[in-house]
Amino acid sequence: MTSARAEATHPRGLRAPLARGRRRGARGLPFILPYLPFLIVFGIAPMIYALDLAFTGANGGWAGFHNFARTFTDYRFRPAFQHILLYTGVWLGTLVVFVVGLALLLHGRANRVSSGFRFLFYMPGALAGAASVLVWLFMLDPAVSPGSFLLRHLFNVTLFVQAIAPGNLPFVFAMIAFWTGAGGWIVVMYGALNTISRDLEEAARIDGAGPLTIALRLKLPLIRKWIAYMVILSFATGTQLFIEPQLVNEASLGLVPDTWSSNQLAYQLAFRYADFNSAAAIAVDLLLIGLVAAVLIVTRTGLFRRED
Amino acid sequence: MALISRAAHARRRSRAPWARAASAVGVIALAATLAACSNSGSSSSAAAGGSSAAAGGSSAAAGGKVGGSITVWVDSVRLPVAQAYVKAHPNVHVKIVTFDGDGNGATTMQTKIQLWNRTGNGWPDVIFSEQVNDPVWMASKPFDFAAPVKGLISDSLLSQWPAPSTAQCTVNGVQICVQDNLAQVALWVNKKLMDKFGYTVPTTWQQWAALGQKVATEHPGYIVGNIGDSFSHWIYLWGNQCPLEQLKGSQLLINAADTHCTEMASLLDPLIKNGTLPPLSVFSPDFAKKYGGADDKVLMMPGPSWYATSLFKDTLHMPAGEITATNPLQWNSDTPITTGQVGGGPWIISKHSANIATAADFVTWATTVYNPDPTGASPRPGYPAYGPVAAQWLTGMAKNPYFAADPTPALKAAAADIWTGWSIVTYPDQPVWSNTVVTGLVAGKSLTSLLPAFGSALAQAAQAANYQVTQ
Repeated sequence: MTSARAEATHPRGLRAPLARGRRRGARGLPFILPYLPFLIVFGIAPMIYALDLAFTGANGGWAGFHNFARTFTDYRFRPAFQHILLYTGVWLGTLVVFVVGLALLLHGRANRVSSGFRFLFYMPGALAGAASVLVWLFMLDPAVSPGSFLLRHLFNVTLFVQAIAPGNLPFVFAMIAFWTGAGGWIVVMYGALNTISRDLEEAARIDGAGPLTIALRLKLPLIRKWIAYMVILSFATGTQLFIEPQLVNEASLGLVPDTWSSNQLAYQLAFRYADFNSAAAIAVDLLLIGLVAAVLIVTRTGLFRRED
Repeated sequence: MALISRAAHARRRSRAPWARAASAVGVIALAATLAACSNSGSSSSAAAGGSSAAAGGSSAAAGGKVGGSITVWVDSVRLPVAQAYVKAHPNVHVKIVTFDGDGNGATTMQTKIQLWNRTGNGWPDVIFSEQVNDPVWMASKPFDFAAPVKGLISDSLLSQWPAPSTAQCTVNGVQICVQDNLAQVALWVNKKLMDKFGYTVPTTWQQWAALGQKVATEHPGYIVGNIGDSFSHWIYLWGNQCPLEQLKGSQLLINAADTHCTEMASLLDPLIKNGTLPPLSVFSPDFAKKYGGADDKVLMMPGPSWYATSLFKDTLHMPAGEITATNPLQWNSDTPITTGQVGGGPWIISKHSANIATAADFVTWATTVYNPDPTGASPRPGYPAYGPVAAQWLTGMAKNPYFAADPTPALKAAAADIWTGWSIVTYPDQPVWSNTVVTGLVAGKSLTSLLPAFGSALAQAAQAANYQVTQ
């Protein structure tokens, strides 16, 4: 599960000339060496183990695609993946639009103002996943929420159980994830914008471009690769959603199913039914989805293409 | 992709020592991660037992020497029992771990037992669960955790548990737990409000429903029960002999279309609609705010015996001198009267225990000796399952000033009425009820319209747990 992310963080250059690539690789090795053991122990080894489990039966014998077929026909499989895809779609959409939008806005501001806002945006991200969900459990309960008038009047929600109605969940989880994750990305995008040469901006301004044109026609295309990078990483984390639905399941005393997301289904299969092989099959499904998305984004945006 | 070819390569050579070592490292990493994850789900705290030198009287565990150290897992409600045992037994070192004893706790427990089974150590000696069905999976593969109690607790003591209670603790003919309390459903009545409004206490479901209609028009805002708990189907459907979990040999009968189910649903639907039977959980802050407190709005409430002080006094903070219990409601003039059950928490001893005599002594003491003053501030929270303690507890409860009238005759009567056609199964049915029915009721659907979906969702859950289902 961590492996998809790990792989996305350490992709290989796709079409770099071979000899030069090798030289570069040797030079880069000391830099990645401290990370390598962790990548192997926590990224690659569990992934290999998951693949091993997914294609074998409970007795360790070869099972082919049996585990995949069985989990695919499980009555919880389809809803779980539907939830996850809807959630990831909503979340990635808002993430791209708002993170890029806010970063561009910030970059146009005076330095002091923008650093204040950067700090403000980053703050919620300092709360770790589980803690932020707990905060949101209170935010969503009209009885105790500081935003209860919004809940009551805008969304017509007077009870906690209405706030977490099944249809709202993908949006609720997307909101939680955005709130905790977006700040970090805004800072990253701001950093990316800082790499744009001032000469370019000045040249554009002399040519008569306003702030909006500069933002959309100059800055945006130049940070395209960073956006792609954010989408790849976020897609992997999005499809691996676990802690938010798990905590809401517990807090709502079971109103939200404990197999809402695919990762939860894998967890239940492993520990309630002791079916580690099926759980591994779902983990591999998630890995494949993450990989396919990453490949699509990489090839479409030319993430690793080099201009030189 | 590079990743796939590398992985496929690894699989082909999975017998190579390096691959096995890598796998082992992976297992450890995975286990560590999952343990960390599941920790966040349960509040876990450990307390060491005292070791002062007062003499501790030991109870009648059969055989073995009592002493040394044991680890017990209890819910927060049973924490005082464990602490009292520590106080009474200075020669025993007890490590107490509290966990979420409800349905969430069951999942935590399953995760933990699987991990302990995989690592071959770490099991606690004793577990208390609020879930009456937990012993069933604990006694089955792959968990295989529960030790048979025969021989650990003497037969003369075991015979003092009521037969239905012993039956719920018996899996494949072997008794593997003892229940802490009985959780029979009775009708809780707010005597003060009933007198004030001039209503007579109903004895049948029909009278109760008619009163619900009357309350809706005469005293809107007051309620005659609730249906938003994860266990509400145990109160209304179990009580009315709805066959949703009936083991017949190897077949499990799940029939939500049975008249026993549909007639109850049509009786409840008007009450859900008029607001006298809200789809809220009694443990939700919303419920306490709307219906609890000094100016409470609970006129009646069908519910288990442990509602007595746990719910009305400690959770809803209803004043003393209001609530009492009356007999379970009858369906028209049908006999015998049957009622539901919510809980019946069992004590389970680990078959892996290295100090099983002490573990058995702990369970024996907790169920057959422990009985703090029932009229005092902290009586045993539920109706004790062990007969002689139940008798003492009832005598005390009859005098407890919190109740408006003596609730014990009704509780005693209800204990014998629990319908035995509801079998205890390995999978939890509460989440199924919550996420198929309660969410629908909150959205304004009728119970009658939700019953078919509930039946098929239960059947799916049963099949996923390897039951053969007939519908």
